[in-house]
This record gives sequence, C-alpha cells and structure tokens, in this order.
Amino acid sequence: MTPRERIMAVLNHESPDRMPCFGANSTVTYEQMERVQAFWPDGHEKAEAMAKQALAAYTVLGFDAVRVPFCQTIEAEALGCRIKSGKDKGIPGIDHPPPYKLDDLPEFPKDFLSRGRIPELLKAVRILKKELGDEVPVVAGIIGPFTIAGALLETTTLLRATFKKPDKMRPFLDVAEKAGTTLAKALIDAGADIISCEDMTASPDLIAPTTYRDYEMEYQAKQFEQISVPKILHICGNVDSIVEYMGKTGAEILSLEPKSDPKLAREKCGPDVILMGGVDTATTLFMKDAETVKKACEEQIAKGIQILAPGCAVAPGTPLENLLAMVEVAKRH
Amino acid sequence: MKLLKDFSNIFRRYDLALEKTGQAREISKDPILQKIAKYVVDGDDENIIPAIKEALKTKTPLEIINDALIAGMNEVSRLWDEGVYFLPQVILSSDAMNAGIAECEKAMGKSMERKAKVVTHTAEGDIHDIGQVIVNALLNANGFEVINLGADVPVEKVVAACKEHKPIMVTGTALMTTTMTAFPKIAHMLKQAGLEIPFVCGGGAVSEEFVTSYDLGIWGKEASQAPGMAEDALAGESWQSMRAKWNG
Repeated sequence: MTPRERIMAVLNHESPDRMPCFGANSTVTYEQMERVQAFWPDGHEKAEAMAKQALAAYTVLGFDAVRVPFCQTIEAEALGCRIKSGKDKGIPGIDHPPPYKLDDLPEFPKDFLSRGRIPELLKAVRILKKELGDEVPVVAGIIGPFTIAGALLETTTLLRATFKKPDKMRPFLDVAEKAGTTLAKALIDAGADIISCEDMTASPDLIAPTTYRDYEMEYQAKQFEQISVPKILHICGNVDSIVEYMGKTGAEILSLEPKSDPKLAREKCGPDVILMGGVDTATTLFMKDAETVKKACEEQIAKGIQILAPGCAVAPGTPLENLLAMVEVAKRH
Repeated sequence: MKLLKDFSNIFRRYDLALEKTGQAREISKDPILQKIAKYVVDGDDENIIPAIKEALKTKTPLEIINDALIAGMNEVSRLWDEGVYFLPQVILSSDAMNAGIAECEKAMGKSMERKAKVVTHTAEGDIHDIGQVIVNALLNANGFEVINLGADVPVEKVVAACKEHKPIMVTGTALMTTTMTAFPKIAHMLKQAGLEIPFVCGGGAVSEEFVTSYDLGIWGKEASQAPGMAEDALAGESWQSMRAKWNG
C-alpha cells in the first residue's frame, strides 16, 4: 500500500497493510533540518523552506504523511496579533499586547488569506502536493477557535471570561472559527488532504470541561461541518473529561496525548472515531532512548491507538533515532 | 469491645462526600469573615470590596487578610487539588484575594508583612505563563512576596532579579522543550554569582530527570507544591535537601 492508501484504509475502517505513522502536529527537528538543508526561521516564513522541512517527515523519517505549518500563530498573525520570532531555534510565539479587549468587537479582515504568512503556507502546500502527488497525503494545520480567541485577548483574559462573562467570548469565537475555516478551505484548494486542528487552549488543563461542552464544542462542530476532507482534532493534555464531546464535533480522527486514556475515548466516542497518538513528546520522545520510545508506543497501541503519532508537537531537539523507532513499531502492526 | 459491623467507612476520607458535590467548606465561624472568604472562593472581586469596608469597622485588617482572604484562597487551592475547580476559577479567586488585600493594606496604611521573597518567571521564548499564574496566586495566598518577572524572561534578567531581591527561592516555568534549556544556564549563573538559591522548575515539557541534572534544580510536579517548597526554603533547607525531599 502507498502511505495514502494505508491512511485511507484506516479512515474507511478497512485493514491497512500496517499501521500508519505520522504527526497531527509538527514533527520537524534540528537533525532533519540539517538533512534537508532548510532551517528556522525560514521554515516558518518561506514556502520553499517550509515545504522542504515538511517533506523530511516522509524522506528522512519514513512517516506516512507530511505536515505544515510548524507553529500555532498563522491565523492569529493574520487577525492582527503581534508575532515574536523564534529565531533559528524556536517557534514563533504571540507577543504582548493582544489586539483586543473583552469589550471590543473583533473584525474578520476581508483580505485574511493574503495576510501574514498565509500566502507562503498555501504555496508550501502546493509545492508539497506537486512533489508527493497521490502517494503521500499532505496534512495541513489550523488552530481551534478557543486558542485563536485566546491569542486575540490574551489567554488569561479569555479564561476569566469563561466564568465571568461567557457571552463576551462569542464574537471572538465567531471570528476565530471563521479564520480557521477560511484557512482550511484555502489549504484544501491548495492540495491539503487532511486538516489537523490544534486547540491547545481548549484543554481541561486550562478551561473547565463545561466550558468546552457549552461553548467550544459548538464552534468546532460548525467548523468541521464546512471542511470537506478528513479532520484530526488535537487537544493537549489529559482530555478524559471532554473526550466524549470531542467525539461529537465531527472530527474523524482524535489525536490524544498519552496522558489521556484511549480506552475511555473508545468507550465514550463509539466504534467510528479513529484514535491517533502514541508517545509523550517531552518526557519520552525528547528525553529517553529509542527502546523506551518503542515500549511507550506499544503500550498505547495495546490500548487502542490506530494511527501511531507523537502525542503532541515534537520538540525540535528530539533525537532522530527516536522518531525512526516509531516507524519501526508501526511496521510491526 | 465494640465490633465494627459496617466496614464501608474505614478507608474513606472524611471529606469525600463533600468532594463529590464539589462544595466549598465553611471557612470561618464568624459570619463577617465567612462572607469575605466566600467572595474569594466565588472569585468575586467587586462585591468583596464593600464587604471588606464593612468588616473593617469591627475587624483588624490583618484578621481579614489571614482569616478570610488567605483562608479563602487556601480553600480554593484545595478545591483545585481535588479537581473540583479549574484554572479560570483559581485566577478569579486570586484576583478577588488580591483586591481584598489591597483594600486592607489601604486601611493599614502600609503593605502587609510578607514571609519572604520568591522570584518567579516563565522561560525565555515561552509565552505560556499559565503555570506561573497559579504558582504566583498560591505563593501570594501563603504570605510570600512574589517578584513576578512574567513570561519570556531572558536568563540574565532572572539572575539580576535574584541578585537584587535575594529571594529564598526562584521558580521557572516552561511549557516547551525548546525553552527549558534556559534553566541550567540560570542555575549555572546563579552558582557563579554565589547565590545557592533553590531553583524550582516545572511545566508541561519539564521532567524530573532534566531538572535534577543540574545543580540548584528541584523539579516541581504541580503548581500546588510551590507554597510547601517555599516554606522549606524559608526554614533554611538547602536545594540538596529540598531535592531529596520533593524529588526522587
């Protein structure tokens, strides 16, 4: 099977020749940058470097899909947030002050798709599509409504609002959802095969599960309904308390960190949802050796993971052999 | 000898029933103090002010701070530990407590006396200061003066703040593996400056193995450990003995 056929088999609930392995989040590392001779910050800012680095997931790691972008700031920047460069070693972050206050009404810019780094991101997807054709799927990332709203307001302001003035969040969630959806559609037009939605701020580590249920779930469902290709929903941390609701958003694939329980996800979400995950990116993939990585992957597979993946964004200093070890495990299943 | 017929309560903690319903406990027998404490628990930073003004007619500012404001925040901390409260509630309660302390300090005509200083920061390149927000709130609630350097703080600034303030403890938070590499640099520079301050490091990406690989480092698993660690540092414990106690 080609990587594409392998992933499609899982999505169609058929048996693949072996388990697919790829990232819902960024998998770029310094070692891969050396191999493909494309570096940061270019990989965050210029289409050619971005495409080169993404391609490394397939050519260097042997993963079954490639993924762009490598940060969580694309939509926020286009909506007016100040961006702080991660320079050559880090990822771009959102700088203070935020563009809006809670009492403001945010605007969705008409020229959204031509703002910030979006044109470069779209170009990178077109390059990848041309390189990979129908063999290897291109995964393109968007950011969830709650996380974008947090960037527009500053996260702590949004967190206060979840309890004090939840209705004030709605205009921000509206604009944030529209941003992610508009970007997703453009990414699909450019050639993206799968959309991966990262929604860090929707984690129960940050908001109450009731906030996810009563607010974010609705926006996520609205967004996913408008996206024609398979969707991955990734929320960081332990999502046991909201996994049931994540399963109701319309995402075909849920990407879980090992802190979450895949068995519970299966129980709560039913047989149709595809579970993706495998190994903790900080404490295991980054810190430990290949043998430990393999063991961690096997444990998660035994609990019902169907697509092997790093649990979250890969730390750029992660040893290459640890990522290669993941593919080795996938080949056993 | 009384024979026990029902074993169901033997291994049951006395507060388990409360936890299930997620109710805050009564904090003070005194209705005036209880009312203020309740505003802290509810995270109400508006109604707490008139309640404190009223209370100041019969209570001392210190009584209000210790027995209502800080006691209320300790209850919030408990509710958070038990999984009843979530981060937004801790932030709101901390706002209410701080507003209340400011009001009492106004009445005292001076700042309330603090146990000692703790410098807190989130690593350079890291804008995820959520963990630090909780650490600040809990240290504050336990009577420590927090020197809050905020997020994305350069290594040199942390060291300079330690030289200036001579804190009993310094904390570092990092969510990303790219940013936590600043911690050993800080530890090294503190040692070179002759400042053997316990350096508690924690956050999403930060592991025990990493933090205990450099001198001064003590791994903070949960933000809720911060006040206990600060008490140890205040009691004069070295980073070595604190590491032995809290890690490994």
